[in-house]
Amino acid sequence: MVQQKGLFVSCDGPMAQFIINLNATLPHNQKFIIHVLDSTHLFIKPDMAGTIRTAISEFRDQNTYEKPSAA
Amino acid sequence: MSNSSNPNPDKGRPSKKIKFSNKDEVRASASVEEDEGYLERDEDDLRYGEGEKRDFTKLELKPDHVNRPLWACADGRIFLETFSPLYKQAYDFLIAIAEPVCRPESMHEYNLTPHSLYAAVSVGLETETIVSVLNKLSKTKLPKEMIDFIHASTANYGKVKLVLKKNRYFIESPYPEVLKRLLKDEVIGHARICSEGTHGSDEFTISKALGEVEGVHDELLNESDVAAAAEEKDTHAFEIDPAQVESVKQRCLPNALNYPMLEEYDFRNDTVNPDLDMELKPQAQPRPYQEKSLSKMFGNGRARSGIIVLPCGAGKSLVGVSAATRIKKSCLCLATNAVSVDQWAFQFKLWSTIRDEQICRFTSDSKERFHGNAGVVVTTYNMVAFGGKRSEESEKIIEDIRNREWGLLLMDEVHVVPAHMFRKVISITKSHCKLGLTATLVREDERITDLNFLIGPKLYEANWLDLVKGGFIANVQCAEVWCPMTKEFFAEYLKKENSKKKQALYVMNPNKFRACEFLIRFHEEQRGDKIIVFADNLFALTEYAMKLRKPMIYGATSHAERTKILEAFKTSKDLNTVFLSKVGDNSIDIPEANVIIQISSHAGSRRQEAQRLGRILRAKGRHQDRMAGGKEEYNAFFYSLVSTDTQEMYYSTKRQQFLVDQGYSFKVITSLPPADSGPELNYHHLDDQLSLLGKVLRAGDDAVGLEQLDEDADGLALQKARRFPGSMSTMSGAKGMVYMEYNTGNRKHGAGQMKAKPKDPSKRHSLFKKRFA
Repeated sequence: MVQQKGLFVSCDGPMAQFIINLNATLPHNQKFIIHVLDSTHLFIKPDMAGTIRTAISEFRDQNTYEKPSAA
Repeated sequence: MSNSSNPNPDKGRPSKKIKFSNKDEVRASASVEEDEGYLERDEDDLRYGEGEKRDFTKLELKPDHVNRPLWACADGRIFLETFSPLYKQAYDFLIAIAEPVCRPESMHEYNLTPHSLYAAVSVGLETETIVSVLNKLSKTKLPKEMIDFIHASTANYGKVKLVLKKNRYFIESPYPEVLKRLLKDEVIGHARICSEGTHGSDEFTISKALGEVEGVHDELLNESDVAAAAEEKDTHAFEIDPAQVESVKQRCLPNALNYPMLEEYDFRNDTVNPDLDMELKPQAQPRPYQEKSLSKMFGNGRARSGIIVLPCGAGKSLVGVSAATRIKKSCLCLATNAVSVDQWAFQFKLWSTIRDEQICRFTSDSKERFHGNAGVVVTTYNMVAFGGKRSEESEKIIEDIRNREWGLLLMDEVHVVPAHMFRKVISITKSHCKLGLTATLVREDERITDLNFLIGPKLYEANWLDLVKGGFIANVQCAEVWCPMTKEFFAEYLKKENSKKKQALYVMNPNKFRACEFLIRFHEEQRGDKIIVFADNLFALTEYAMKLRKPMIYGATSHAERTKILEAFKTSKDLNTVFLSKVGDNSIDIPEANVIIQISSHAGSRRQEAQRLGRILRAKGRHQDRMAGGKEEYNAFFYSLVSTDTQEMYYSTKRQQFLVDQGYSFKVITSLPPADSGPELNYHHLDDQLSLLGKVLRAGDDAVGLEQLDEDADGLALQKARRFPGSMSTMSGAKGMVYMEYNTGNRKHGAGQMKAKPKDPSKRHSLFKKRFA
């Protein structure tokens, strides 16, 4: 049994899929998911929290429309 | 005004009743008033260093400002308090001179633009009237900048008129010096025809013209002003060569001589064109706003060309028919498709005393001709502008349309027709007066500007919320239903290789399907409503309709079949839901429907959203039930189903902008279908969901794309991801934030769909079908 320090991530289903997808796009040595616990819980490497947050907020921004201000 | 300069940021919205004794405090209240709803924008402007423009502390408040309804700012923006006792008068005036930017319940924002002032002048308002009425209504002393702007913008507008009298074109003006200046221009000088009565080039025909009758605004003027306005004026005129009208018009545009010409038709004195004997039937009672829009058109006894903007369901057809019955000359009515041609012909027979042989339809299916020397022809833009070879029969009819002089050219849904088609239609048909009707003067391309010169200025625009309050259109509950993506669908959605299928994936989201099925059941069974389901995506449309066993109509559905389905929908108790692709956006008139469920939509088109809402705006039930406090607060429902965490969220918010600016609010529903719903709705089991997913993924990329319609210029503009940084200026509000396109979107998505599908042979125009068969 290998002991490993990590981060326990709890989120909704779609976001879990987003993180899994993000993980899948990275090259092998950068993969960060240690274990997919269930559809809303993940166990990941401890130093990745910031990266994931940025990626998610970027993704959400793309899907958010802001009313342009008058030029 | 900036937030930071506001000394009372915590005060929120002060009540109007509070009396301020201290002058500084009064100013502070002004800042807070105007701040409502614009907080974000102010921040943006600060970022760009425009903070000073928002500083209105220099504005001088009049002592009796409480009684006055509006704020006028130096940058041309005007804010109107809708709770003021003077609201109605002020609204009528503002809508004539300024563009509405945003009209929520208690505070409207308007913008003065050169084009809005052009429209004002063309309905007969004079510069001095505009300034003096504005000054009367404003809480503050009118800023000098605004007065200067009004003077500069109206100086030349409306000074010159092009009048078609007894088939001769005259250029008219009350100012002889202006006419002299025009004649110095080479093109116009050559175009002039000297009649016998005039000797030198300096003399003009002089006639008396009736003064303008503008009752509403006169109330606001001093008596002396009224007297001045009612006084008869001398009109100077000279005749020009009919063949050179187009080039003369061009010379008068702002980029040349800058005397844009107004076009008017003196139909009462037109003895050359035969009269058409028709009247409005007595039971056709135009509503107040319909009367008002007509009075703008016929303000001085002549017919002006222009555009009237009324929400769908507010009775545009009656306005069109009334205009035709007033002019009483031959009328050419243009609609967007064959179904609406039938509806227009029906409306003419319904509201006017026109005889059956005087009205005819000209479409690919029915080629009728009217008898007698005057009549009404209803046809489509496509039929007239069509450039290819026609059958002998339709060639004859087109020839007839070309050679006739039309009293009125009635154009429905002017916002959807491509500009080049307009030009063609207008150059082919000779008409004295053009009336454009539309519900939404927004387009995702820049063609609004063209309308202004091709047809004329906007004559009238109704306020949606006022019509709702008056019970003239249905009170719609708008809701955005958030459907979370299922795990499997979202996983596929995120994969790069599926980028072209993104739309299909979020539309076919099983949660969305279940929400849709739930809503259909709820409204059919619990309320007995009639439901339209809209889907732009053909793949989704077919899947949904097949699974739920409901009829559907899309581009390739034949005219006969469409009519059959719609008829069944209107009359049968067993058919309460119909699925429509975007062919149903415009013109298909289904007055019975009162629920719309939108499962997929065309990217961020605000026009489409408004048009779809319009399908259910027609007021239903008894009038008193609809009024505030009546039995049913809401009697129509508009659901937009959106898959969360996808691009659809972006588009959905954007699409709602137009309606939000009209004062509508969207309620967000997150719990549909209810958590306890089980296998009674489809796609409850994971296996079903997975097989659906497989089906979506197996379908070819073009099969899951958007439906392409020929007439869909707006759509093409969106798909090519052409975005215009505000060049759409003008006519409809343009300078405001409403009508601009910004570069914030996902270009990738648009680029994926740029390629047009190869043409489906079944969609070919019937004229071509024969050739390829």
